[in-house]
Amino acid sequence: MSKDYRQPTEIFEPQKSQRQLRTIEDAATLSTSGRLITYNDQLKDSLKHGKIFTELFDSLIETNDPSELLSAAQKLVSYHLDTSFITFPQQYSRSDFYLIFLNRLLALHDKERVILQSSDRFHELYHEFPGINTLGYFIFQLETTAQKGAYYTEKNTGETLFYLSFDKHVLRFNSRALTELLLVKYTDDVTKETLRGFEEYLLDIGKFLKEDFGFDVDFTLLDPSNSAVYQVADSNLPRTILDKLFVETAQGGRILERGVNGEAVLKLDDDIVVKLFSQNVNEGASNGWSIKVSDPLHKESWFDVLLEYSFLRTWYLNNLESLEIKSDSLYFN
Amino acid sequence: MTNVNQVNAQKYSLAAQQLSKTVAVKIRYLQTLAQAVENKNDRLVYQLIDGQRYSEKVMQSKHSTADTKNESLVDDISDTISQYLSGNLLAYLHETYPFFYFEQVKKGLFQFYFGNWWDRKLFGSLDVLRVSFEFDKAEYEKLRRAFALDAENKRLNTDKIASLSDQADQLQALIDSQGQRDTEKEKVRLQLKKNAQEKVMPWEAAKLRDAKQQLVEHLSELTEQDEKAQTAYRLIKENEDQVLALSKEDTLIGYEKQSIIAKFGSFENFEARNKTLYRDYIADLIATKGRVNINE
Repeated sequence: MSKDYRQPTEIFEPQKSQRQLRTIEDAATLSTSGRLITYNDQLKDSLKHGKIFTELFDSLIETNDPSELLSAAQKLVSYHLDTSFITFPQQYSRSDFYLIFLNRLLALHDKERVILQSSDRFHELYHEFPGINTLGYFIFQLETTAQKGAYYTEKNTGETLFYLSFDKHVLRFNSRALTELLLVKYTDDVTKETLRGFEEYLLDIGKFLKEDFGFDVDFTLLDPSNSAVYQVADSNLPRTILDKLFVETAQGGRILERGVNGEAVLKLDDDIVVKLFSQNVNEGASNGWSIKVSDPLHKESWFDVLLEYSFLRTWYLNNLESLEIKSDSLYFN
Repeated sequence: MTNVNQVNAQKYSLAAQQLSKTVAVKIRYLQTLAQAVENKNDRLVYQLIDGQRYSEKVMQSKHSTADTKNESLVDDISDTISQYLSGNLLAYLHETYPFFYFEQVKKGLFQFYFGNWWDRKLFGSLDVLRVSFEFDKAEYEKLRRAFALDAENKRLNTDKIASLSDQADQLQALIDSQGQRDTEKEKVRLQLKKNAQEKVMPWEAAKLRDAKQQLVEHLSELTEQDEKAQTAYRLIKENEDQVLALSKEDTLIGYEKQSIIAKFGSFENFEARNKTLYRDYIADLIATKGRVNINE
């Protein structure tokens, strides 16, 4: 563990820099008392700057108003506490603010399942999820481009589960990392209940960001809605992949049926129905192959089905190259 | 003169009478048919369009009451009759053969699939007028053989899949043993080199030549295996595809068998029912008063 993900302290800010430049230029022409006054003014400004920070921090850790919480977090993740006159040796990183925000948001809804831990040794905060804490922990990794967002990252594997941007009001889940981590890495060591719990935790984040602040959320394979359409990577899905599913479904004691429109239909327990179909929208333009999961309670996602049914999981993972559910390519490649 | 005229007139009126009578018979036939259709009496329609089949199958009588000449009157509208009769027949088949899924090809002509599962097979077509299935010969034969193989506890493609798996294992072994072969080749080459440098007594020359020959043969054998190993990956992939296709067929036939057993108990019963389908259907029409129709 290291402080890799901590942004180095930045003291260069556009508005400030103007004044600092001027101060340096002017310094030569100023009298001694003038210099003292200027110095004192700068200190006052810097102190005020620090004071504002503490107010935002107060808000982040104490407010019960969701919009105040978001506003505080949004400001804090781009706040430069240090100035050329005052530096603060003990600081939380931007990743930490994202983590605190998530815990506070979930706590406001009584859904705080993830534990916010602080490592004294590495001076950082991290997320620990009960049941998978021996396998890894989560932090935010700041986006390197100017887009101002951060990736929720499992530190040991580097898998980025989702992208969050306060400025753009965007939350994007990453199907590849979710699959790799939850359906491959964790399957042997973590109970299904825990994985379900972790999934709920992720869904809650999306749900509250959407409901409280109107975030644009892409859940990808976690989306439990019946109207969710999961697009698979290969738009020309080879026929053999469906044949394999047909054979493996039979071995699982079920039938892969043919729907009225030629789609493949798989009926599972509790009236859960999985459909695979090629969307040939008008003008012959094909949107490629997609998967839909429906159930009477709008509770089940493709992820849930994969978690529950091992023959489907095996099939999905064996043909992942073709079947992987697409994530927003703007944030994940 | 008058006599001749009278005779001619008599002949003429006789001919006219005969013609009227014949035409009237035909009209009566067509009227009966029209009436049967109007009354939704499908049973009677079947009897009218093919009396011979009707008496043979239903009355089980050898004496045909066929009226083939009149029946030929409607030959050119068989598709229209077929279309009409298909309504009730398909409803009946839906109950008795729930695993056949019918699809109209054109007027009065239907084909059917076995099952509603993925990539189900087109299994044959329906002769509505004769109330009989015309099964796809190849598919029907596969199904029949699959049932026969039950006794051996095998599926249709069990043996083929086993032999393909063996091939795949051999191919894999060929790939896996590459390192071993490389070492072996090196050894043989060294031995050949050694032999070439060895000086022997003339009477031993023949023995040495033999040994060399053997080594050369062994080397070419190994090289041959190397070449095979190079194509093995592609062959294994092809092999996998074949196994998949065969497993898929076994799965399809498995569902077909299950469907037949669920409905008929055995393949023999299924075949027996197919044979008596015409008779059973007519009996059902009588029992249900023409199914949809109650004004017989």
